[in-house]
Amino acid sequence: MTKKVVHESSSMHVTGKAQYIDDMLLPENALTGYVVTSQIAHGRLMGFNLDEAKNTPGVHAVLCYRDIPGTNQMGAIAHDETTLVEHTIQFIGQALFLIAAVDEETAKLAASKITTEIEELEPVVTIEQAMEKGLQLNPPVVMQRGDCESALAQSQQVIEATITSGAQEHWYLETQVAVAQPLELNDMKVYSSTQHPTETQALIAEALYIGRHQVEVETRRLGGAFGGKETQANMVAIWASLLAQATQRTVKIRLFRDDDQQMTGKRHPFLTKFKVGFTKEGKITAYRVSFNANAGYSTDLSMAILARARTHAENAYFIPDIYIESTAWRTNLPSNTAFRGFGGPQGIHAIEEAIERIAQFLGKDAAEIRYLNFYQKEINNTTPYGELIENNHLETIWNKITKTSDYTKRKSQVDAFNQTSQFVKRGISLTPVKFGISFNTPFLNQAGALVNIYTDGSVVVHHGGIEMGQGLYTKMAQVVSEELGVPFDKIRVVATSTQNIPNTSATAASSGTDLNGMAVKNATDQLKDRISKFLATYWTNESKHTINQEDILFENNDVLVANQPELQLSFTETVNLLYQNRINLSARGFYSTPNLYFDKATQQGRPFHYFVFGMAVSEVELDVLTGKHRILQTDILHDTGLSINENLDIGQIEGAFIQGLGWCTTEEIKWDNKGRMLNHSPDTYKIPGIRDIPEIFRVSLLDNAPNPNTIKQSKAVGEPPFIHAFSVFFAIKYAVAAVKNHKVYPELNIPATHEKIVMAIEKLKQE
Amino acid sequence: MQRNYIEFLLDESLHKISWDSNQKLKPTTTLLQYLRSLPNHKGTKEGCAEGDCGACTVVVATLNNQNQLSYKAVNSCLIFLPQIHGKQIITVENLSQGQRLHPVQLSMVSMDASQCGFCTPGFIMSLFALYKEPGTSTDKDIQYALAGNLCRCTGYQSILNAARVALKNKGRDKFSEKEAETIELLKQINREPALFSTEQQHYFQPTHCSDALELKQKYSNALLISGNSDIGLKVTKKNELLPLIIDLSEIQELNKIIALPQGVYIGSNTSLNQIKNELKESYPALHKILAVFGSKQIREVATLGGNISSASPIGDTLPVLMAYNAQVILRSVSGKRNLMLSDFITSYRKTQLRPDEIIEQVFIPKPEENRFYDVEKISKRTDLDISTVSAALQLKIENKQIKSIQLYFGGMASYTQTANHTQDFLKGKPWTIDTLTQAGAYLEKDFAPISDARAQAEGRMLFAKNLLLKFWQNHQKNQHHD
Ligand SMILES: Cc1cc2nc3c(=O)[nH]c(=O)nc-3n(C[C@H](O)[C@H](O)[C@H](O)COP(=O)(O)OP(=O)(O)OC[C@H]3O[C@@H](n4cnc5c(N)ncnc54)[C@H](O)[C@@H]3O)c2cc1C
Ligand code: FES
Ligand code: FES
Repeated sequence: MTKKVVHESSSMHVTGKAQYIDDMLLPENALTGYVVTSQIAHGRLMGFNLDEAKNTPGVHAVLCYRDIPGTNQMGAIAHDETTLVEHTIQFIGQALFLIAAVDEETAKLAASKITTEIEELEPVVTIEQAMEKGLQLNPPVVMQRGDCESALAQSQQVIEATITSGAQEHWYLETQVAVAQPLELNDMKVYSSTQHPTETQALIAEALYIGRHQVEVETRRLGGAFGGKETQANMVAIWASLLAQATQRTVKIRLFRDDDQQMTGKRHPFLTKFKVGFTKEGKITAYRVSFNANAGYSTDLSMAILARARTHAENAYFIPDIYIESTAWRTNLPSNTAFRGFGGPQGIHAIEEAIERIAQFLGKDAAEIRYLNFYQKEINNTTPYGELIENNHLETIWNKITKTSDYTKRKSQVDAFNQTSQFVKRGISLTPVKFGISFNTPFLNQAGALVNIYTDGSVVVHHGGIEMGQGLYTKMAQVVSEELGVPFDKIRVVATSTQNIPNTSATAASSGTDLNGMAVKNATDQLKDRISKFLATYWTNESKHTINQEDILFENNDVLVANQPELQLSFTETVNLLYQNRINLSARGFYSTPNLYFDKATQQGRPFHYFVFGMAVSEVELDVLTGKHRILQTDILHDTGLSINENLDIGQIEGAFIQGLGWCTTEEIKWDNKGRMLNHSPDTYKIPGIRDIPEIFRVSLLDNAPNPNTIKQSKAVGEPPFIHAFSVFFAIKYAVAAVKNHKVYPELNIPATHEKIVMAIEKLKQE
Repeated sequence: MQRNYIEFLLDESLHKISWDSNQKLKPTTTLLQYLRSLPNHKGTKEGCAEGDCGACTVVVATLNNQNQLSYKAVNSCLIFLPQIHGKQIITVENLSQGQRLHPVQLSMVSMDASQCGFCTPGFIMSLFALYKEPGTSTDKDIQYALAGNLCRCTGYQSILNAARVALKNKGRDKFSEKEAETIELLKQINREPALFSTEQQHYFQPTHCSDALELKQKYSNALLISGNSDIGLKVTKKNELLPLIIDLSEIQELNKIIALPQGVYIGSNTSLNQIKNELKESYPALHKILAVFGSKQIREVATLGGNISSASPIGDTLPVLMAYNAQVILRSVSGKRNLMLSDFITSYRKTQLRPDEIIEQVFIPKPEENRFYDVEKISKRTDLDISTVSAALQLKIENKQIKSIQLYFGGMASYTQTANHTQDFLKGKPWTIDTLTQAGAYLEKDFAPISDARAQAEGRMLFAKNLLLKFWQNHQKNQHHD
């Protein structure tokens, strides 16, 4: 496989020709949609008057909940989200009314003319407040193995802690956007920045009170998503559709950056309590952890996110007796949602904290404790939910990365440096990841594709996945190119549409290539089968000796039998021949991941198709007075199976790592006690910039690690490398702890902003 | 008759926008809004409309004093249309020649430096501007040039690599070929003073200081703008309609740096980037703060007059200029007056500027011998971030004792203030960690900072105390260098 193919859109990206939804040329009479939102976090909408707004010149529709023809509901899984507020207001930024006008200015003018009567209620903002009031979204879920309580009681040492991690804003560069275009027979075509067109389609159909066959959702590319467009794109698409239906004109809604940040969900903040038992060597004997997530006002994907937190609570470590409990809490914030890692990072955060504390307590290197507790190959290789870990690469990766990063030597250099340096401290950390691949919910693991061959030998590929920068379309074209032997310029992977591929799952859980790649291959397999079957007969007749179907190859735009130059046709000639003989040149592919099952009641099963492994080593230098730090070096060794496209995969790893770095360091969201978000624009919400990346940044792929039973023996890559950012977080903590010569474990949570770092140091100094 | 139109080059051809009766564009329409309203310029993206992401970056080529073209990357979301008059606007669609990509585009493709691609046009334009800067570009130059562009997908490593490749051998490009022609076209553009009027707005664009002063005399409630990096936000973020504007950006007299033995005079209109580049040796502390001021795109347009006049509690040039004992020179039709900068700013976003005055110049006396000037800025992110706390110092040590000390803090009060109690305590004390640690307690008397989106009061106070020690540490290092 040609592994160095560049992103199919890259030359369009660099020339500005790649079209995003906001770039579409719309009909002259298209309208701008605008959402009027709540300015209070909790209350009751007692009354409102829309008359003046409706009478504003240039305004074509002003809608309230009563104007929704179908159900006033847009919750994706639990049906607990109103499309437009009917009575209860649940967060700041919740949609009250919709306006369609000739332009944004007119819409805003109309919005200012709406009067409302609102009764304000006390909002619940933090997890602690929700816990106090008992506002559980659902009863806690427990996953366990063995007898954790008695194992803890028998442990030689026990450490207990409470830790937190903060919300994270996706900060996709392209804000949420949709264009809805009314068609004949009350049908609707919607261009949506969604990761999940099928769900968007379904919710639009319900809101408009029409069948799903009447709604087409199409998406060519997203300007970034990271989970933030898995459910959060739905609302904009629904609102635009409602306005389009009401006005019978094309309507576009694009959220302004601040509105996007205020209205959409984030990564769940977590409050986690744990108790870890261990031996004096540092072997973990028991672990009890309780995750509490701030879910925001509705369910959204919170239950699935907590499922992933639970299934990643032990990360790469075998823990014999373990008790994992998780609870989602309801607050008056936007509904928190999917974000790269999907609860995995928060789950892993706790066990890595536990390890760091064990190391500090025992006066040992944390990496050593990690190694001691790794899952093994023959024994100690089942997860708390009963899944066997096969093809475990932890040992291999450890052996390689400790060498290539020169970990041990650099660790002692760091310690030596800290002995003599007062205001500058260094830290180094090695952290692993083991990440389960598949949607935690088994039925979601399916995908469809449609491959059409035209008689000039060109190919169009449809599949259900969404291109959001990860290079999915490129990889799909690579699969087709390799399977059919057709060059890239004769292959088009076209915009994803619910009319072409129905009933798809979200492009999420890192599974885009795994699922859609297999579906595409299933389609090309059928096509190859038809072609080779036909040619076998045809050539047998022509050459008068038997040609087997299996001997027919697809290479370099030709179809041929090896070493028989006379048995060779160009791909174009071949497909023409099939066409003349009335053989179908179009095939639908389908795939469902085999052998997945999970019992929700016992929390046991085999939820994952396989696991991804990797490790990172980061070294930082910290200015003790300002909390500023530089990452001197990061080495990452990551397992992508047999990568389909190495450069794309390395790009995913680098990008995920830096996104994780942001979550761990600069990205902080605060709310005041009224539920108002303080960091609602890039002015105060800080994602990493170019000077924040490691000065030496080396990412390698684990070689020679084919993954059985996946497309081209590759592995999913989107989410797992996010976890590598912990190497920076714990390196910072190590540098902080050096202030007190590692005698005291620092109190430092996620995000470790400069402010939190200097405060942690101050606290240490006062100990 | 005054000019009521603007002319500029876009796609190598001359465009004209007139504010006659049927003009729908406002004079305060941003360049980004204008570009995106055209059918074929949607490559320029909006990511934030506040200068904080760089997705809207375009390159503006202007004729400099020597009648040569200089290329600058700017945020098109914070530029009002009249501010492009007489300039060439280069957008991402404009770089390639047919199928032939510009070197900066080519390397971004071959180094896999785009993923979702939404940030890419902005990066391309920042790189293109750097490509057009004379001389070689170091890694540091690349980082400065790209610090104003956010990418959420790539993690920047591939972009950095692409930049290195593209900038290694800067050669001629399509724009070099056409340079003479472009210069001719730009030269022919009428540079008279202008007034752009609509029913609701009047936007003056004088070209001489005297005209500006007369306008200000006549319309004392008019809003002055220079770089527009602050005022632009009123339009893009707060949807304000600015009814009356006097735009100073076309006044060349206000745009110069004059170095004299007694000090330097900086025209209020001078861009912060120019100041950063020209005063590196003579005012290192000013250079140090400007290196972390906004982004390169912001510094290309942001002016010193604008930063001072904003009188923001976190205005980054203020503490350091005060430490340098800078003066502001104010002018009105009736004359000029000089004020110490520290007197000029009176309270939260309030200054002594009278309604008929403008800031004409800033004078910074030559740093005194045997004095140590320093500045520190703490923010969440190194680049393109507003100060959480900042501080500047002027220090004179004699016989290891603090002979005189001036300390100015940003972010600690409603405006930039001296730390009086702290200074009084320190005067005459030995310059040691111990005294500076003790001095921290006096900062509590000087300041009662607030909690906000950037930090808690407690954190701010701790930063301020630590900065005293940081100054000590910097001074030590400085001594070792000497
Ligand atoms: C993304 C971004 C990042 C930023 N980063 C920083 C930063 O790091 N540090 C920082 O301090 N600031 C920062 N700023 C704020 C702003 O860029 C600076 O204050 C800048 O110096 C303002 O200059 P300007 O010429 O653009 O001002 P304008 O927006 O044109 O004007 C600002 C104010 O000054 C007045 N004014 C302008 N010229 C004159 C004059 N000659 N006489 C009298 N009054 C005048 C105007 O009336 C207005 O009140 C940032 C802004 C943005 C958008
Ligand atoms: S749109 Fe973000 S900087 Fe202009
Ligand atoms: S490539 Fe997506 S934001 Fe940069």
